[in-house]
Amino acid sequence: MQPSLDETFLALGDPARLAVIRLLRKKPRRSSDIASALSLSRPTASRHLGVLRRAGLVEETTSEDDARGREYRLRPQPFARMRTWLDEVEAFWGDQLGSFKAHVETKYGAARRP
Amino acid sequence: MSERADDRARVSMLVRVPPAVAFCAFTEDVDQWWRRGRKYRVAGKHRSIVRIEGGVGGRLFESFETSTGTKVHETGKITAWDPPSRLAFEWRSPNYAADEKTFVEVLFEESASGTLVTVTHSGWSAIRPDHPARHGEEAGAFLRRMGLWWADQMTSLRLHVEPA
Repeated sequence: MQPSLDETFLALGDPARLAVIRLLRKKPRRSSDIASALSLSRPTASRHLGVLRRAGLVEETTSEDDARGREYRLRPQPFARMRTWLDEVEAFWGDQLGSFKAHVETKYGAARRP
Repeated sequence: MSERADDRARVSMLVRVPPAVAFCAFTEDVDQWWRRGRKYRVAGKHRSIVRIEGGVGGRLFESFETSTGTKVHETGKITAWDPPSRLAFEWRSPNYAADEKTFVEVLFEESASGTLVTVTHSGWSAIRPDHPARHGEEAGAFLRRMGLWWADQMTSLRLHVEPA
């Protein structure tokens, strides 16, 4: 079952959780490492990780060579779906800018070309 | 896999005019290049005018005549006005809740062959699911509709632009 796109956006609508995501883009980390890297208390970090996990943005994994604890890593699927959303926004502006380019070059550009 | 962990959309386009000309045309001529039709304008098939008022605090808005008089949809206020290099404004679609907005920044950078125009549209994560509930609509449905709205817009824009 996939979380909906609005759950994805809601989970990301918080600066601390965005910071967690940015941190995890580099490599998987333990909850305690995330807390210290972002100067969060451990309960606060756990709470944010819980929201991200329920939104399907991160998952826990047991590190095989380290018995000290589970690591969190990003799940790629929701990012791909959000990417699609942002692609649509980009396509909108790409087409608007295409229209702008046609307008500005037709009206002001031709005489200026070397 | 997660190149885009934030909520920005960014598009660049090279136009073969100097930055000052690009900035003026983008703002003063907005009605001439802004796509027409239901997908792009609140007025739909009726005539409307899109305007950008110069200066911080100015508005990006669309006005049109109806049987009950002139209607105005304010997309947002200008938040940065630095000709010829930068423009920023708020963006509210008609279906946003009163306190929802996203943000658009437009940069005009001089390049060897003209001006690189870059639009960054951000703030999508702030469109929170509890707001659409006030529209009497489920959050997921709201966002899907927004997504479809954009997708629809794209397709018809592309069809319009590509033969040119």
